[in-house]
Amino acid sequence: MAMKKRRYALVIDSRKCINCKACVVACKAENGVAVGNFRDWINEDRQGEYPKLRMDFEPEQCHHCESPSCVRVCPTGASWQRKDGIVLVNYDECIGCRYCMIACPYDARYFVEETGVVDKCTLCSHRVDRGDVPACVETCPSKVRIFGDLEDPASRIHELLATRRYRVKEPQTGNGPQLYYLL
Amino acid sequence: MGTKLMDRRLFLQAAGVTAGAVATVQVGCLSYFKKGRSAAADNREVPTTCELCPNKCSAIAVVEGGFVKKLNPNPENPKSRDMLCARGNAAIKQVYDPDRLKQPMIRVGARGEGKWKPVSWDEAFDFAATKLAEVKAKHGPEASLWSSTEGFQEVFFKNLGLAFGSPNLVRHPTLCLASVNLAYSATFGTVPSFDLLNSKFVIMSGANRFESIITPDTMDLIGSVMERKAKLVYLDPRFTVTAAKADEWYPVKPGTDLAFILAMIHVIIKENRHSKDFVAAYTTGFDQLAEHVKQYTPEWAEKETEIPAADIIRIAREFSDAAPRALYYAGRRSSWYQNDFQMRRAQAILNAIIGNWDQPGGMVPNAKLPKGEFLFMPWDEPKAARVDEIEKHFPLAAKGDGVYLKLRENVLSGKPYPVKAWMVYKQDPMNAMPDQAKTLKMIEQMDFIAVIDVHMSDMAWYADVVFPESTYLERTDPVEVMPGIWPAVVYRQQVVKPIHDTKPNLEIVQGLAKRLGLSDYFDFTIEQWVEAEFKELPIPMAAEHMKKHGVWAASGQPSFGKTLNPDHRFVTKSGKIELFSERLQEAGYDGLPVYTAPVPPPSDRFRLILGRVGYFTHANQSNNIWLNEFMKENDLWINPKPAERLGIKNGTYVTVTSSVGSVKLKVRVTEEIRPDCVFMLHGFGKKSKMQSLVYNVGASDAVILETAWDKVSGNAAFHETFVKVANA
Repeated sequence: MAMKKRRYALVIDSRKCINCKACVVACKAENGVAVGNFRDWINEDRQGEYPKLRMDFEPEQCHHCESPSCVRVCPTGASWQRKDGIVLVNYDECIGCRYCMIACPYDARYFVEETGVVDKCTLCSHRVDRGDVPACVETCPSKVRIFGDLEDPASRIHELLATRRYRVKEPQTGNGPQLYYLL
Repeated sequence: MGTKLMDRRLFLQAAGVTAGAVATVQVGCLSYFKKGRSAAADNREVPTTCELCPNKCSAIAVVEGGFVKKLNPNPENPKSRDMLCARGNAAIKQVYDPDRLKQPMIRVGARGEGKWKPVSWDEAFDFAATKLAEVKAKHGPEASLWSSTEGFQEVFFKNLGLAFGSPNLVRHPTLCLASVNLAYSATFGTVPSFDLLNSKFVIMSGANRFESIITPDTMDLIGSVMERKAKLVYLDPRFTVTAAKADEWYPVKPGTDLAFILAMIHVIIKENRHSKDFVAAYTTGFDQLAEHVKQYTPEWAEKETEIPAADIIRIAREFSDAAPRALYYAGRRSSWYQNDFQMRRAQAILNAIIGNWDQPGGMVPNAKLPKGEFLFMPWDEPKAARVDEIEKHFPLAAKGDGVYLKLRENVLSGKPYPVKAWMVYKQDPMNAMPDQAKTLKMIEQMDFIAVIDVHMSDMAWYADVVFPESTYLERTDPVEVMPGIWPAVVYRQQVVKPIHDTKPNLEIVQGLAKRLGLSDYFDFTIEQWVEAEFKELPIPMAAEHMKKHGVWAASGQPSFGKTLNPDHRFVTKSGKIELFSERLQEAGYDGLPVYTAPVPPPSDRFRLILGRVGYFTHANQSNNIWLNEFMKENDLWINPKPAERLGIKNGTYVTVTSSVGSVKLKVRVTEEIRPDCVFMLHGFGKKSKMQSLVYNVGASDAVILETAWDKVSGNAAFHETFVKVANA
């Protein structure tokens, strides 16, 4: 029997982000990310002159691209992509050359000095594989991120992308990023 | 790091499948055993209740190999819903913090010098009991002060103070929310919740709900404002995250919110927009109110608040149009100005006259749930009157909480009587009270100080003995009922055994009680206490349920309007909602809120204002390594205009000086604050070297804050300090 095709993605409703950092700490705990490294983060944009001001937040992490440049440039095949779209690093094959860090348009990867390998967001594949959502998605007070399967017409993200305007970051790279920011 | 974790996870999965997974172990995890861990992997999920702030969110602790690896939100809690904030997630680092108190210690150097001798529990108990007995013999039991803050095990500490014979228990409310509690109680006879979820029009003064996270209010506000297009009008001298998300932000002149509210009441009554049926059926004193607010026109309020009169009129109209799904949100930390009680009273009155009481989208009296009580031996009431003279100076204030700043004044003056022993549980008066130099004087004149805490707070740093408490993940605590629109019962059970030589507060209290001859009052175990509480919970198989789920909430939707029948008696003198309050007048206060303009800062000074961010609430959280990463040092916010005038550049250091102290802070030149204010964050500049990430880093607001309090509630007024800022 053929496996059902899946394509995981995140829809992000940045307006609801309050910059509380819950997602960042949840990721640290869930994935054992060392102090000083971050697999997800929140961009801040503060503009204007008192008292006409605005302040916007935008959570970001690996975009788990359709055609990931990090995977293309990896000389050993350590950076690889699952059939469901999740981009991972095979630590045993990573030689720490860091080409992928340069190739990533989103600066989503970091080098771990202690182990000599590159690491990044796994979209909590270990949680996803047992049917849970990624830790950043779950812990958020305002539920900014919506996780789902684009191949599933019944999914919430399928509906959101069909009915709402959105943008992706750095589309010109041809990477086909899979973090969809609602407008 | 990533590799190690992956291996461990694979190992744990394998070990979970087969009991004799020795082969897997040899392949994957030799180092794992070299560290002496058990071959039978300790993998569990344990529901518990977070203790990093007073919200009491439900969490599920994931234990892997005997370690707390992750805390997941427990969606069964209707208050915390399905979230856990940054602080909650970082609770793991409280357990495994290298700075933790790991065994009892007795001071050997001078106070604050940081020289400690690790001692046995017996030695620490004996030492403290001897000192307490000395103070009692010399000055009486009332010469002991028992300071504590909210927590499930606080009850045991308070009871020890009372059994010892001291009337001097002093708690956090007068450094936090006493004015708002008293103002709503004086008006409605109770402190309601605010149904932000269903509201269509919300006004907030300062209560920065998107950075000062309160459950479920923060999430409900996101829901109502972002998803259901409720309107949010926000007043704050600072452009906070809440200001950024609001439909309208007014950088109100500090201390004038009362003028804005009184003018809104003026407009609503003048234009006949109040809920006449509700006012007639449920309130008293409307005519006096109508007469009283005639003077408070929007044009007058514009001059006070700097909010245009046309906007005040429009907001008053929109607000009353949205009623009853409209509310003026009360907020939580209400320790701002010396008129704070009356400002909160005015909010309560405004809410009352639009008839949002006990309505969806309005104010809702809290529903409660029954809980059993463990019956312990009662003690004689303490004989002496309180040292803060609360009855005389604050006759309406909550007696059991005391009045912190007045208490400090009296202890320092030695009148009406001397206080010579200071017992502290889970609180850091060094940073929680304004004017740290004064707190240090209070410390100096104590014969004995003991602190019970999980970490070496600044207060502990100055103690004579410290008793290390187990963190919440290492303890089982009493059961807590959380009243609310949707009430719940939460339970905190031990997730892992204490990793150091620490004890839960009950056992610390029992150790002291035994040596003070008070054992009879504490002759029970936490299990017995909890069993008694479980017994009367309205849940079948309560103990089993709470252990399995950690939380229980009634099913179905919350109900509204239970108090909306003409026979309902409010717990006020008149039995009605008191717009005009005779009780206040009899106590010598204004029966209706009277506005007095705040004194503006002199031209060479700024008003210092305070606030929080989502990842720090309490002073101790800046030393949590996962939270400290977001801000390693606090800074001083200053508007570019005055910064330019003073030649102050972004990123340089300045001295910030008030009448009581001076601190050095890095400067953040930002458009996000009024030109007449400066702002700093709480929780830095520690004196304790065992807060290693923030020891001597940044500055503590407590050093420069001056002593001032609200006249009615005694609540500290933290925004009444003027400071000079100069290049360092």
